[in-house]
Amino acid sequence: MTAATMTTGGGTGSVRDLGAACLRVAQAAAGAARSQPAALVHGGIHYLIVAVAITSLWNRAASGNGGTIVGYQAGALVWYLVATEVTAIAPPLRLIDRFGADVAAGRFELELLRPAPALWIRVAAEIGTSLPRTAVCAGLGCGLALGVGGAPASPAAAALAVPALLLGVALTIVAQHLLAAASFWLRDSRASWFLYQKLQFTLGGLVLPLEVLPGDLGQVARLTPFAAMSYAPGRLASGHLEAWWLLIQVAWLAALGLVTARVFAAGERHLGDGGEP
Amino acid sequence: MTASPSASSSLRRAADPDRAGAAVIAVADLHRTFTTGRRRNRRTIEAVRGVTFTVEPGERLAFIGPNGAGKSTSIKMLTGLLRPSAGSARVLGLDPWHQRRALSRRIGTVFGQRSLLWAELSARRSLTTLGAIHGLDRSPVGRRIAELGELLEADDLLDQPVRTLSLGQRMRCELAAALLHRPDLLFLDEPTIGLDLLAKQRFRDVLVRLNASHGTTVFLTSHDVADIEHVAARAVIVNHGTVIHDSPVAALRRNLLTTKRIEVGLARPSTVARARAALGSDIGPVNPLGVAGPDDDGTTPVDGIAIDVDTRHQAIGVVLDRVLQRLAVADVSVTDPPLEAVIGEIYARPATGTDPSPGSAP
Repeated sequence: MTAATMTTGGGTGSVRDLGAACLRVAQAAAGAARSQPAALVHGGIHYLIVAVAITSLWNRAASGNGGTIVGYQAGALVWYLVATEVTAIAPPLRLIDRFGADVAAGRFELELLRPAPALWIRVAAEIGTSLPRTAVCAGLGCGLALGVGGAPASPAAAALAVPALLLGVALTIVAQHLLAAASFWLRDSRASWFLYQKLQFTLGGLVLPLEVLPGDLGQVARLTPFAAMSYAPGRLASGHLEAWWLLIQVAWLAALGLVTARVFAAGERHLGDGGEP
Repeated sequence: MTASPSASSSLRRAADPDRAGAAVIAVADLHRTFTTGRRRNRRTIEAVRGVTFTVEPGERLAFIGPNGAGKSTSIKMLTGLLRPSAGSARVLGLDPWHQRRALSRRIGTVFGQRSLLWAELSARRSLTTLGAIHGLDRSPVGRRIAELGELLEADDLLDQPVRTLSLGQRMRCELAAALLHRPDLLFLDEPTIGLDLLAKQRFRDVLVRLNASHGTTVFLTSHDVADIEHVAARAVIVNHGTVIHDSPVAALRRNLLTTKRIEVGLARPSTVARARAALGSDIGPVNPLGVAGPDDDGTTPVDGIAIDVDTRHQAIGVVLDRVLQRLAVADVSVTDPPLEAVIGEIYARPATGTDPSPGSAP
């Protein structure tokens, strides 16, 4: 058997081949995550603690406000909160820190010796790792919401929340890679992780719906990718049949993907030119 | 710089773009400078300055030098990770910097201290995933993994998570990853670092067998002289960013040794002072053999002596004759200093130093 007969379509030169490679990487990563049930249980408990605490707080606030807050019924608010929290807890933690360590230690450099773009292989691996956690957290969230908030107000909107959650997780991972790219130029880019967390927290509507934000800030937040990451699945899960959020998510995914690819290409050139992080 | 006839012709070929076409690696006048610091503290460091050499298909080459000599920088330029400041490099007919991904389909890399595998996956899953990244179909990859498992005696390791493997086991899997896509050229950067003796030996054997059976060109860097002796047929030595020596490994000792050691087992105990007096004052340093501790005045009785002969000034046969005629000899042997000492001597030369001509030794 020669290398030529083993190769399909000349390696990972085409988009189709890159897609196939990314799919296999994501499958392998998902398999590895599934094979560690203790880590999944740990992630699930972490999610439940946060989700129960936040929903209890908002339930108390809603009941003191006639059962409604900023247009959300108490039950809808629970569905909103459990959905948005999935996008915060299911993606791998400290991705930005880990990437910085890999660049500094020269491990990322080795990934450039593969015939496929290192960025997309990494994104695929992180998405694959996130999928089982997303499934566990979403399952627990559904159970909690059904128990505390009752059935979803709009089953159709709740069904759309499933792809919105997956797109939200993917967006989170791509956005973190964009910030992580600072590691190509900075020796210590850990500040990017804190910046990212705070932005997702506030502009993503993680703990409080964007409608709570004062003045035009809520409107501004809706225009950011953070809203597409977390607010969008929360909005759909809470019974708002706004399918266009999926289009916005896809558009942000494409835009952020393009920008991240450009920044990574520049970072890789910087490394190749002998620039130190 | 000295060069064997074959190395000299390879240098000429590197400088001639037409003739460099057939070489696996053709490097001509390669430079790499780094700038560090800002404004007033700005410094320019020439890590590689004018490296030129070629590597022919099927060669086993050791690219060696002390720390900071420019080895890693050169390897990074040859694999496309670093852009040269000046000069040219062609690897398998490709420009590494501009065609890095195309090149990655034809080279394999093993870095002793860094892993190409995914720690959380089993070695087999890591390899099949790498196969997918290389655009290889699933079933031929499965067969190839089985083949490599047999070659590297790693069958029983393949289903273990990479993070649970010992260093020696992981290195066998790293080599499998490097060989998965049947590369024409293998870059090995200190592949045996940290391995135990047995694992090192096994690793070296595999490289030699692979080279013999598949003609895979081997480009090895290592600080372990045994790697060089067992794996490489040719050594390119770099220091201060330039090639200071290029010859077959076997010729390293032959051409560069200026000393030989005569070890004499005495028929009856004597002293070093008596042996010196018997041999004459023009003989090189005479030392006790197998005596721990100093023997400054040479009066301690010893069972053997060692004479270091500078072959530039004294023929080894003359000294040997004198030993046999003037001492009561029970046993005698003539040895070269270890290759390590030879290489150490080359490393120690100043930046402008050149090797003595190959024919200068008597």
